[in-house]
Amino acid sequence: MSFEDDLRKALRHEPAPPDFAAKVLARTSRTPTYRRAAVLALAAALALAAIIPAAVHRYRRHQRALEAKDQLITALSITKVQLQQMKEKIRRNTRSKL
Amino acid sequence: MALGFAGLNFEKILADNQSLVFSLALRFLRDREGAEELAQEVFLQLYEKLRKIESPAHATWWLRRAISHRCIDEARKRRLRPRIGLEAVPEPLAQTRDADPLLSRRLRKLVEKLPDNARMVVLLRYQEDLDPMEIAEMLNMPISTVKSLLHRSLAVLRGKLEKQEIYRKQVCR
Repeated sequence: MSFEDDLRKALRHEPAPPDFAAKVLARTSRTPTYRRAAVLALAAALALAAIIPAAVHRYRRHQRALEAKDQLITALSITKVQLQQMKEKIRRNTRSKL
Repeated sequence: MALGFAGLNFEKILADNQSLVFSLALRFLRDREGAEELAQEVFLQLYEKLRKIESPAHATWWLRRAISHRCIDEARKRRLRPRIGLEAVPEPLAQTRDADPLLSRRLRKLVEKLPDNARMVVLLRYQEDLDPMEIAEMLNMPISTVKSLLHRSLAVLRGKLEKQEIYRKQVCR
């Protein structure tokens, strides 16, 4: 018998523990693939459902704030012009009286 | 019951390959508990990929490849956090048809002491009966490396066995 045959005999397959297959099957049934995928898909959908309206709301609020800011700036510039005109009128009236 | 491509039955694949996967892990890791855990994980991985498995032979090939790589990774991790080795637990009874139990035990012990890559190559060659080309493909190694590892490992094993004079006694009987 050759050395390599001895090696082959020494390295014959070891039987797996008697409950090995049962343990593997128990672990597969605990979290079936399709159920895990469904849970992940549902979680992703819920997260998106919560995130998207919040983001849209936030964006709209931001847009409204920008519009309000623009209106305020316009109003202030109109007021400024009117104040300058009033100031000019008062100055002119004062000069004519003198 | 999980069925894969072409109606493959997971339970049948498990029954047919459990000994192969467990033996490779056990002989490589030298730790029964760790080998069982790793072997279970590899079967669970296969279960997840069952739809991509085309035949029972493909399943066996996939399992052999997966357990080989997982064993090498696990051995690397263990070098960072050592665990109790097989030496610490009683050796289970191996199938010993026609083989001398003492010689087989000595040979297994010597194989266990080979470096990781050499040990895996020897296990795939003499336990799984793969040829060097298949081993090279499985472990992503050049075939010259596989042949060289096999050649050197056999020389080391033979040398150590002769030193122990166990083999000579067997031959002289």
